[in-house]
Amino acid sequence: MSGMECNSDMECSDSDCGDANYEDYYSNQIWDSVPDNDIDSNQQLRELEITAFDCLRVEDVERLLNENVELLSSNLKITPSLAKLFLYENKWSLQDILMKYKDDTLKITTDVTMNSLKFTDISCNDHLTELNCLVCFSLLSLEKFNALNCGHFFCKDCWCIHFETQIAQGISTGISCMAKDCTNLAPEDFVLSNVTKPALRERYQLFVFRDYVKSHPQLRFCPGPNCQVIIRSKELKAKRVICSICKTEFCFRCGMDYHAPTDCNTIKKWLTKCADDSETANYISAHTKDCPKCHICIEKNGGCNHMQCYNCKHEFCWMCLGDWKTHGSEYYECSRYKENPNIAHESVHAQAREALKKYLHYYERWENHSKSLKLEEQTLEEIKLRIHKKVMDASGTWIDWQHLFEAASLLARCRYTLQYTYPYAYYMESGSRKELFEYQQAQLEAEIENLSWKIERAETTDRGDLENQMDIAEKRRITLLKDFLNV
Amino acid sequence: MAALPRRIIKETQRLMQEPVPGISAVPDETNARYFHVIVTGPEDSPFEGGLFKLELFLPEDYPMSAPKVRFITKIYHPNIDRLGRICLDILKDKWSPALQIRTVLLSIQALLSAPNPDDPLANDVAELWKINESEAIRNAKEWTRRYAMDN
Ligand SMILES: [Zn+2]
Ligand SMILES: [Zn+2]
Ligand SMILES: [Zn+2]
Ligand SMILES: [Zn+2]
Ligand SMILES: [Zn+2]
Ligand SMILES: [Zn+2]
Repeated sequence: MSGMECNSDMECSDSDCGDANYEDYYSNQIWDSVPDNDIDSNQQLRELEITAFDCLRVEDVERLLNENVELLSSNLKITPSLAKLFLYENKWSLQDILMKYKDDTLKITTDVTMNSLKFTDISCNDHLTELNCLVCFSLLSLEKFNALNCGHFFCKDCWCIHFETQIAQGISTGISCMAKDCTNLAPEDFVLSNVTKPALRERYQLFVFRDYVKSHPQLRFCPGPNCQVIIRSKELKAKRVICSICKTEFCFRCGMDYHAPTDCNTIKKWLTKCADDSETANYISAHTKDCPKCHICIEKNGGCNHMQCYNCKHEFCWMCLGDWKTHGSEYYECSRYKENPNIAHESVHAQAREALKKYLHYYERWENHSKSLKLEEQTLEEIKLRIHKKVMDASGTWIDWQHLFEAASLLARCRYTLQYTYPYAYYMESGSRKELFEYQQAQLEAEIENLSWKIERAETTDRGDLENQMDIAEKRRITLLKDFLNV
Repeated sequence: MAALPRRIIKETQRLMQEPVPGISAVPDETNARYFHVIVTGPEDSPFEGGLFKLELFLPEDYPMSAPKVRFITKIYHPNIDRLGRICLDILKDKWSPALQIRTVLLSIQALLSAPNPDDPLANDVAELWKINESEAIRNAKEWTRRYAMDN
């Protein structure tokens, strides 16, 4: 399907177009527009997939952390730096720290004096005016020494070199005391009072902040490229968040691409498997297949898997090459993998072959829907161009065509979820629950292909018909998520 | 080459004056950060009677970073691989600047007395050590006789 030719440069170029609203129609995010006419599914969606969150800047987060630090330090009468360390070690839970404080299991020894220093192995003179540093072996006067609250004294030069070496290796909050077997961590002020090089101080402060955010259960760095945003959510759940600056969407719990209905561990396992087996799976990434009826070579250039041969008009399924008439019914079997029930009694070789076949079945569908998403994006671009042309030709207004953009973003959302049903199904135990899952998956798949088919032929599709199809597809998606999503 | 830190000079002097029993560590004539080490196989271990050559190198940021140590003599041991690299915590994340060459060599000697197949570096050796210890010990004795007793 080819887009219409443009008649003049002015009409084609996005940036030259003076209409401000025009840009708004273009910036449709797939998760943004839930159809307004369905309040019900809107609410269900929110509970299932969306979590309340804020997009914060570095300064906001620093302020947020400092509030906690000040609270703790005034509560326990300790330095802010030590308070920070305790908060970091206890995942920023004030409650846990105060509890440990009550139980007296918090390692607070303020004011380490020379009296409390550990004499083991230290040869010193009678009046304690000089000490032997155990790291550089130098005999130095007392004021040249320093210790953490564990009381292991070393000379300041050695502390400085120790910290510089650790920072250069990328270690920050994890820098510990120099003594053998001592795991006591060095608080921020102690490190900074011993490190003078500006570049290293800056690096240290950057790393420390990164560690604080990573240790905080309510904070996540936006994984978007070069994005400085930190997302805050009160619940640590596998729900979807979107960075307000770079628009990256991700799972708040694991930081990877949003993956419902699959859970964080399963998607990680799946992606690792796909990366490991990429060689084996390569051969299926073909863009062309032969028409099952007239055998002419057909190239797939749209996202829809309901294909029609341009030569013989035969309608078939791109995935399984089956007749499309058998799809979309109660007996839709395209998404399901039929396992060999006697596989346990087969040879090791047969079992390995079967395992590969099963994996490829799921991988092929996972990969295909991912490609369809991209192709449908292109289709949407073509639709935009055509609609732009229509509006310029005064056949309808932007408002008249708005429903098409909504349909396209809904299609993307549904197909995205459908894509992520395949890793879920791959790792499922067979049984009645899997049967139900595969039934719902098949239903969703059928409605998605219907929707895609209708959007590709948007200008000739009745608007009511299209909106009806949108409604059905989204309902199927919500039903599947409601039954199987576990966050 | 930069002047040798006081610490390295002191450690070297002490290693010469009060050597650790069963261990000799001699600095190279041209590079004072490189030590030629010989460890005697501990009594009642499969390595008894063997003399094991090692090399020990003190990196630029020693003692902030651990010394680099490697067996030169071939040895059949679950925590030492074919290249002679040693799996020992104090040579990695458990290193402390307060540890010394002396303590490192003592730990290596202890590792020969008590191999730890649960934290292996040489997987095939560790596997055999776990499922058939007597055969593994026979192998270790055979390797000791073959590679560590000639000179
Ligand atoms: Zn010192
Ligand atoms: Zn300490
Ligand atoms: Zn971002
Ligand atoms: Zn996740
Ligand atoms: Zn055909
Ligand atoms: Zn099919």
